[in-house]
Amino acid sequence: MTQGHPESTGIRNIGRASEIARFTDGGIDVRIEWPDEALMVAITVSRDESAFAVLYDRYVDLVYSASLRVLADAQLAEDTTQDVFVRLWRRPETFISERGKFLSWLMSVARNRAVDELRARGRRRKREGGPLGEPDEASTPLFAGECEDPPRSAELHEAQVLVRRALTGLPVDQQRALELAYFRGMTQQEIAFTLHEPLGTVKTRIRLGMQKLRRALEQQV
Amino acid sequence: MATVHITQEQADEYAIGSLEPQAERLVALHLGECLACRELARDSERLAGALALAAPRRKAPHRLRQRVMRGAGLMRPSPFHRVTVVARAAAGIAAVFVAVAAFTGMVSIRGQMGDLREHNDRLQAQIDDALSQKIEIAALTRGLDEAERNSAELKRAAASDRDLLLALMSPKTKVADVFTRDDGTFSIGRLVWDEDQKRVWFVARDLPQRPKGETYQLWANAGGRFYSLGIFAPDVTGFARYDTTVPQGLATYESAVVTVERAGGSNERTGPSVFVADLSGLRN
Repeated sequence: MTQGHPESTGIRNIGRASEIARFTDGGIDVRIEWPDEALMVAITVSRDESAFAVLYDRYVDLVYSASLRVLADAQLAEDTTQDVFVRLWRRPETFISERGKFLSWLMSVARNRAVDELRARGRRRKREGGPLGEPDEASTPLFAGECEDPPRSAELHEAQVLVRRALTGLPVDQQRALELAYFRGMTQQEIAFTLHEPLGTVKTRIRLGMQKLRRALEQQV
Repeated sequence: MATVHITQEQADEYAIGSLEPQAERLVALHLGECLACRELARDSERLAGALALAAPRRKAPHRLRQRVMRGAGLMRPSPFHRVTVVARAAAGIAAVFVAVAAFTGMVSIRGQMGDLREHNDRLQAQIDDALSQKIEIAALTRGLDEAERNSAELKRAAASDRDLLLALMSPKTKVADVFTRDDGTFSIGRLVWDEDQKRVWFVARDLPQRPKGETYQLWANAGGRFYSLGIFAPDVTGFARYDTTVPQGLATYESAVVTVERAGGSNERTGPSVFVADLSGLRN
């Protein structure tokens, strides 16, 4: 008998999720085809280690890449990635499927954790009298147009292509403002200071950029 | 008063983290109370989360998987790892034993050093006591020697007094007055000459002390030649008593004189006469 995967029920629906989890067995080979939300159900309800391993293998590169993009430091990016996944295992209930896709949630968690680390590092540097400039700012491209490695799945590949296409479709100054806010953790005033632009200009660029992205990615998110 | 809701623009700014910290706190407070605005913000957060996919793709290091699984408590340690852990634990325990042994040894050595120091202090105290006793014994010995000397002197004086008394009782003993040559002094003396014992006593009082380097010396004059009968010194009261034997060969005598000579005495009379005794008319 071929085992299926639990439906994406939302982790709040614990009763049904427990029922589903009882029928889940067979290790990574089976779970590798499950959708993200089903794996999260298995993790939350059954403490399913195989499900966790599948999720890790599926998204570790994305989490690591986002962390590295924010921190520009391989060691710190590793630490951040480890922290994100360990927290996911210990507190999977923080993901609520009704609020959106798992991938968007995971990437938000990874980005926020990396920005926290970036700001903490900035405070440490400021305290220790080190340079305050952002690392690797000039050499790193804006939102990349292509991948270094082939994506793990067609779905992921498609999502990445969509996002990158939406971003590269924005004017460069809007891309830049979003980049500094999202990957550098800068506030609007800091962005205005960095770009030598008025605060109102920066706010407009972010607003317009987000509007265009919303239209372009309406189906994706 | 109507509730002020957040705008889409504010929700977007909140989602990508570009609000100033104070504004961010206000929005977060409002989202905690307003379901409609929370939905708006979630929509923005989903959009912002998708932005992370735009980061250039990098391959996570293989070692990271082990770190994560271990951090989550999901990885069983390999036999090699177990052996390493056991070895490390054993090494740690051994190190603890070594440290404890070293510490115990140090404590023992410190204890021994303390005992030795205490023992040394006791020995030093004993040495000090012994030195004190030695000093006391030396002082007592000196006192005893002096007492012996005094005793001997007293015995000798007593014997001399007895001999003098015997001499004075003898019919052949003759006594001569001794006169001072200096009219300004009041010294008085006697010379007792015992023919039987062949001894001579010289007794005087109020005799002045001689300065350092000088002494009194008694002489017997026989035919113009002076024979030394010895040197003497008065005590602190000026009393002097001296006795000696008559030199052999001295059969006749005419006078006796006391002179002042250099310390230790002279072989021949050189100094001035202090007392003179006419022995030609010695009386019994």
